[in-house]
Amino acid sequence: MSAPHTESAPRQGDQVLGPRAGRWATPALAVGVLGLAAALGLGWQRGDGFSRLQHSWLVACAFFLTLSLGGLFFVIIQHLTRAGWSVVVRRVAELVAANTAVVALLFAPLVLGVLLSNDGLYPWADAERVHGNPLLSAKAAFLDPRFFAARCIVYFAVWWLLGRWLLARSTEQDRVSGPEPTLALERRSAPAMAAFALSLNFAGFDLIMSVNPTWYSTIFGVYIFGGSVMSFFAAAVLALRFLQSRGFLTREVSVEHYHDLGKFLFAFVFFWGYIAFSQFMLIWYADLPEETFWFKTRMEGPWAAVSWVLLFGHFVLPFLGLLSRHAKRRLALLTLWAVWLLAMHAVDLFWLVMPSAETSGVLVSPMDLASFAAVGGFWIFSLLRLARGRSLLPVGDPRLPQSLAFENF
Amino acid sequence: MAERATNTGAGELHALLAEFDDVDAVSGAARALRDAGYRRFEVYSPFPIHGIERSMGLSPTRLPWIALGAGLTGTSLALFFQWWTNAVDYPFKISGKPLFGIPANIPVTFEFTVLLASFGAFFGMLILNRLPEHHRPVFENPRFRRATDDGFFLAVEVDDPRFDPRATRALLEQHTRRPLEECRDSGQTRELPGSVRAALVSVAALGLLPLAGVVWARSQDSSRPPIHVVNDMDSQPRYRAQAANPVFSDGRAMRSDALGTQAFGELPRPGTITTGKQGDAWTESFPVPVTPAFLARGRERFAIYCTPCHGQSGYGDGLVALRAAELQEQNWVQPSSLHDPLVRARPVGQLFDTVVNGVRTMPAYGRQIPREDAWAVVAYVRALQRSQNAAQADVPPTERAKLGAQ
Amino acid sequence: MTVSDTSRLVLDEPYARPILVDGARDLASITDRVCGVVERPTPPRAWYVAITITSCLTLMLFAMVGYLIATGVGVWGNNSPAFWGWDIVNFVFWVGIAHAGTLISAILFLLRQKWRTSINRAAEAMTLFAVCCAGLYPAVHVGRVWVAYWLFPVPNQMQMWPNFRSPLLWDVFAVSTYATVSLLFWYMGLLPDLATLRDRATSGLKRGLYGFFALGWCGSARHWQRFERAYLILAALATPLVLSVHSVVSFDFAVSQVPGWHTTIFPPYFVAGAIFSGFGMVVTTMVPARELFGLKELITLRHLENMNKVILATGSIVGLAYATEFFIAWYGGNPYERFVFLNRALGPYWWAYWLMIFCNVVAPQFLWIKKIRTNLLFMFVISIFVNIGMWLERFVIVVTSLTRDYIPSSWGYFKPTAVDVCTFVGTIGLFLTLFLLFCRFLPMVAIAEVKTILPAAHGHGAHGKHGGEGRPGREVSHG
Repeated sequence: MSAPHTESAPRQGDQVLGPRAGRWATPALAVGVLGLAAALGLGWQRGDGFSRLQHSWLVACAFFLTLSLGGLFFVIIQHLTRAGWSVVVRRVAELVAANTAVVALLFAPLVLGVLLSNDGLYPWADAERVHGNPLLSAKAAFLDPRFFAARCIVYFAVWWLLGRWLLARSTEQDRVSGPEPTLALERRSAPAMAAFALSLNFAGFDLIMSVNPTWYSTIFGVYIFGGSVMSFFAAAVLALRFLQSRGFLTREVSVEHYHDLGKFLFAFVFFWGYIAFSQFMLIWYADLPEETFWFKTRMEGPWAAVSWVLLFGHFVLPFLGLLSRHAKRRLALLTLWAVWLLAMHAVDLFWLVMPSAETSGVLVSPMDLASFAAVGGFWIFSLLRLARGRSLLPVGDPRLPQSLAFENF
Repeated sequence: MAERATNTGAGELHALLAEFDDVDAVSGAARALRDAGYRRFEVYSPFPIHGIERSMGLSPTRLPWIALGAGLTGTSLALFFQWWTNAVDYPFKISGKPLFGIPANIPVTFEFTVLLASFGAFFGMLILNRLPEHHRPVFENPRFRRATDDGFFLAVEVDDPRFDPRATRALLEQHTRRPLEECRDSGQTRELPGSVRAALVSVAALGLLPLAGVVWARSQDSSRPPIHVVNDMDSQPRYRAQAANPVFSDGRAMRSDALGTQAFGELPRPGTITTGKQGDAWTESFPVPVTPAFLARGRERFAIYCTPCHGQSGYGDGLVALRAAELQEQNWVQPSSLHDPLVRARPVGQLFDTVVNGVRTMPAYGRQIPREDAWAVVAYVRALQRSQNAAQADVPPTERAKLGAQ
Repeated sequence: MTVSDTSRLVLDEPYARPILVDGARDLASITDRVCGVVERPTPPRAWYVAITITSCLTLMLFAMVGYLIATGVGVWGNNSPAFWGWDIVNFVFWVGIAHAGTLISAILFLLRQKWRTSINRAAEAMTLFAVCCAGLYPAVHVGRVWVAYWLFPVPNQMQMWPNFRSPLLWDVFAVSTYATVSLLFWYMGLLPDLATLRDRATSGLKRGLYGFFALGWCGSARHWQRFERAYLILAALATPLVLSVHSVVSFDFAVSQVPGWHTTIFPPYFVAGAIFSGFGMVVTTMVPARELFGLKELITLRHLENMNKVILATGSIVGLAYATEFFIAWYGGNPYERFVFLNRALGPYWWAYWLMIFCNVVAPQFLWIKKIRTNLLFMFVISIFVNIGMWLERFVIVVTSLTRDYIPSSWGYFKPTAVDVCTFVGTIGLFLTLFLLFCRFLPMVAIAEVKTILPAAHGHGAHGKHGGEGRPGREVSHG
């Protein structure tokens, strides 16, 4: 078959950030460095052996990591289902998904702390504390600093390799004329999905759930997954709006694609709510003290307000707000919800991690903002470096014409 | 059901019917009619044609709003009904859950919301489409049967203000090579035939009969025993309490304990502690030491065994007594008030005997209450009597001063 | 049995959307092919043989249920400590089967997976029949079936209301809502096809019956507009509904404190398992049905392969859930949880556990191989394994936990009675009988929906521009 895709494909030069990426990357790097300095300074000032800072840092790393993982899921599932509609937005997702190495670097100090038996974040890192607590010593074989470090390396290696491979094959398709890279992506996406599911599930337990090592919930990995994918769709909407406002992808990405992204955003708001409700209701109903304490700390005192914010902000309001077809097609409104939901995703991660560090009084510290700025700055810097020389549109994708002509019914 | 006589040309002209080869042709004709200002025309196809509503200039349907309204009705109905039944009309605590706790009430609320919203979508679709529909004049055209197979049709009604026999025909002929047909209204009504309607009404009326019967039966007072279709456990092959049984020489179905039976965990102890008597007279003093712990035990036992009839304060106003009074039970003997002067004057030994062996219609509790506990109950009864008949002099001087100050 | 070479080429060509049906590519031939099954004067001989067997089994079911009602639930093997036995196992099994229909009709519709159009009608019908089989168990297990209406909030002479905080009542609402909405969805989709049968009917009786149920459908654009909107709304409602139903079923177990039952992953894991088992059953029935009724060109090997991919995906999710459950049972440090999971694998029901692992986790992995997932015999065998495995999963969950609870003195071993076994076999008979009747008297394939995926449905306006297959914008994300 001839390659009819060349007819309507835009020229490649239009869609490369090029030197502009550099112009945006410098301030991002500056924000990162300043944030890092501020975070370290504030952490030092606190005088708690950087315990509070480690919590902030984990929240910030988890936030940007989950964006990338959501992107990874999106890209894999598009290849798995041979989706046509999404081609014009897929490169942005591929870039986000491939941007995990920087998080690995930023997360490394926390792993190093664990290896040095610093229990400021993960209480099980201290062998003496584990020894004195039968609940902890029962799982010492798993929550072992060296084993933990090894698992972290495996997780990040899997994500980095997957992201880079997906990006590499997809950009290869930009250059070659046959469909081989696309076919390879389709064939390998199923095992990729298996690797993704396994790693995300257990990473959820390792990185976040084990901050409270005596608490456990089998659904936790799914909960993290739901939040990740939702946050990715919100980020994708924002990224596309930003790029379009700078003159990129303006003809390619239409309100139809936003509509679909909005549908998925809505679906994952619902999915997150479903998973969160399942987790809460089962623990609330069975009323076993070894599980309820985790919710008790989050439903009493200052944290109760945060729980209510999550219930309404992360589920009820966006659910009602995104229900209508018009909300998903009115871009200003959709953008507003995307910003809102990204903020809620941050609150969600904060709510998961921080109650073990902040039990009373003021919950938010300037350290949190500084950590966010630091990780965010570096993450965006690295994202722009990745994007700089690559086309923002998979110009060689065989399904690009379908995506360009895509129309909702 | 659509009755399809062949189009004989009888009756008034209803519409002009055109058949088209494919989707594009029929959509093109629809666009042309729309642009020419026609409104009363209809496209018929075996499957939904993408974008035909725009070609015809139809406005979007209100169906989503109907479904949304129905769904919200479901949400509020379910929440209200669960709250009213479980927290107001028939409240009972179970497994430590609040009477109306949102987490446990979400599943039913969700299901009911979805149910009513689906009803809204489905029945809303039927109602807006005016289905079921008995007849349409187009059905009378034999070619029209292919509208559910592979035919694409367009009918322009003569009622359309733009309709002009010649101009409309010319417009349609620009889009199809097939001959146009005149669709005539043979006078068959769109309404259901009278016989069908009568049958439906009578079925509905018959369907209401059982319900009416139930309502009638429930509104009647009857002294006859209820009809038992299934006996469940209402009649069982056993003797009821207090019934006669000729098998035994004393003629009673209920058997008393064999002589010398002792309650589990208690050995027979001779003397006052078991009989309540010193010699032949009721004892005036307790055969066991009375301590605060002993009184507390008595209070607890009293609450379990005595309050149902005698009430918390011992005035004979327990829940059972109140219920019996409310029902105006004829055979009910009002329980004594423990503060009756007669009761207060009784020696503790006699009170003990009443607890253990019963009096008048009050049953004997000796088999349920160990002797020591029976004495504890008596001690508590004494304390209760004292508290309910206290004089000002009973209040300690220091507290009395506070009373005066108030 | 094999797809012709030309169509295989089209199927795997990423430049164009695949054409989803073979052979019959024009509107009239689709109508003929599907209606032909219903209109032929006599069904194939195999149909008679099959329905004779299955109706005997159905009669056996009725006999068993009659015996149960006349005698009491003591005729089942449920006894201390296993107060839940085959009744709840079979209930959950059948409810699970019922999930594929709505998944195919609703979720795949929302995801614009057009290949669903060839199989959604039959799968939805299976949903209804499976719900019938499932609903039977809660209805008869109450013992006194004549007071089964107590499950519903009906004003009664006892002046009592059901306890809405109980997961068993959630079940009543979830399953009855699911049955109702599935029925509406299925019936609504049938309307245009019933009208087709009405318009092709040769005898007055048939025309009368199909006409009555077609409600006077005439295919007008105004009707289609509201029909499509209603279809979309029902799909959007059925999607969370299908998630909720098996989640609520899982709540029956997971809200309790029984070790092995109380674990938070149950809702999504049960839903994945339900889809897995439902697709297993769809493959089990569609492989012979498409042969029997000559629908191989509409229900192609590609459809079966796609279903096998869903089986592989959901089977792997179920495997991951098993692993997670096992891991957290150990990680949680609760000795009872740890014991229950070890007991599943090594205790008296080890055979059920390992058979379940083989059927649900190992067997579907063979579907990674394209040769196997496009081979009718292999896929049929694997789908049978899936059915068995998912039944065993519920058996393992229910029985191993109940027979080994907190107090060793009350441990026991559950044994089903002959009535248990015959009742379950009878429900299989009922399911298949209803399915065979459906195949004979109603259009097995959604005629109007299949027509929408033909090139003829999209006109020629956009033809030839993108690889010759209609307006590509509407043809999205085919798996």
